[in-house]
Amino acid sequence: MQERVSNLRRAVVAEVEDINRLIYHVLRAGVVVSVAILLFGFVLVAVTGYPIPDRSIAPRALARPLFTFTPEGYLSLGVLILIFTPVVRVFLSLVSFAKERDRQYVLMTAIVFANLLVSLVLLA
Amino acid sequence: MSIAILLILAIAAFLAGLGGSYLGVGGGVFLIPFMTLALSVNIKVAIATSLIGVIATSSGAASVYVRDHLTNLRLAMFLEVATTLGAIVGALVGLRVPDFYLYIVFGVVVLYAAATMARIRETAKERAYQAGEESPLTKRLKLSSVYFDQEDQGVYRYRVERPVAGFGVSAAAGLFSGLLGVGGGFIKVPAMNVLMRVPMKAAVATSNFMIGVTAAASAFIYYSQGLVDPGLAAMVIIGVFSGTNLGTRLLAHAKSSNVRFLFALFLVILGTAMVGRLLFPGVPI
Repeated sequence: MQERVSNLRRAVVAEVEDINRLIYHVLRAGVVVSVAILLFGFVLVAVTGYPIPDRSIAPRALARPLFTFTPEGYLSLGVLILIFTPVVRVFLSLVSFAKERDRQYVLMTAIVFANLLVSLVLLA
Repeated sequence: MSIAILLILAIAAFLAGLGGSYLGVGGGVFLIPFMTLALSVNIKVAIATSLIGVIATSSGAASVYVRDHLTNLRLAMFLEVATTLGAIVGALVGLRVPDFYLYIVFGVVVLYAAATMARIRETAKERAYQAGEESPLTKRLKLSSVYFDQEDQGVYRYRVERPVAGFGVSAAAGLFSGLLGVGGGFIKVPAMNVLMRVPMKAAVATSNFMIGVTAAASAFIYYSQGLVDPGLAAMVIIGVFSGTNLGTRLLAHAKSSNVRFLFALFLVILGTAMVGRLLFPGVPI
């Protein structure tokens, strides 16, 4: 009995650890990828001699400047990836609480996610 | 933008990321006035750039704190419900509340929190689990947690007090971020540390984790309105990211009482600036 309890406890700790690692990797990857793309954008500024852009490009219009390797495309993409990192994190929290079958926290995370979507739709 | 201005901004962003990750704030309260006053950037563009800096601080620092188990993920989720709701209300109806009252209220709150944090030193005993019944909501939501402090190599189990009051204050913090384009960490950290009795380092880490979500919603709005200057934003992201890499390392080994004292100092400056703004209108904080 005692052994079973301690095994269970270890399993719970391992699971929490998994979620922590996943969130760590997502947040870290979001920033690192964003910084890498931004640096590439500045390299393009130096190589092509285009001025540093002062207006961002809407996500819809992003494909063309990316294919033509213009700095504003890559600088905008890097910024967008950073902005979306926390949204992805909330979504992953939702999935992991659902996996744990923790209904209270699934509900709370769903509210947060819905609030994020509402503020995007409502005010954009 | 000239190269010189971009480099100055990157250095300012480095300092904002360093201070922000160490204190659990986004650094927007440093960056917005710096950009508008020192670099004469338009206020809306400054807010948009600062919001992106807040997300960079949050993602850069929170990732490390989550890995090191300093962050209380459940508490963060619980309070995020309040901050995101507050941010929406702030963006919708907040514009009808005169700035004057906001600055008075938050100036007083910030100065009160500073006094409390400076007066009581956070000792190991203060940090440890207190005897007695947990509040029913804390128990139900399993908010109490445990963290490992590298300062004294101790594991501390702590309980979360007054969850309802903390929820309310977080909603107010969300309101403020929706209005001003800051992360609101300067309210969340004292709310957790003073009101809910969360140990300082855990409060800093949890606040850092939360501010990114609050800022993301507003940042997208600013982006879609074309207010994000990608050159400025890129410099801020790169600067902040380097700053957080140093700040997170410093916090892990810092003395909690020092972090708390520095935070109190930061609040005194901020609170004075907020009240001062009423006396000298036109100076943005």
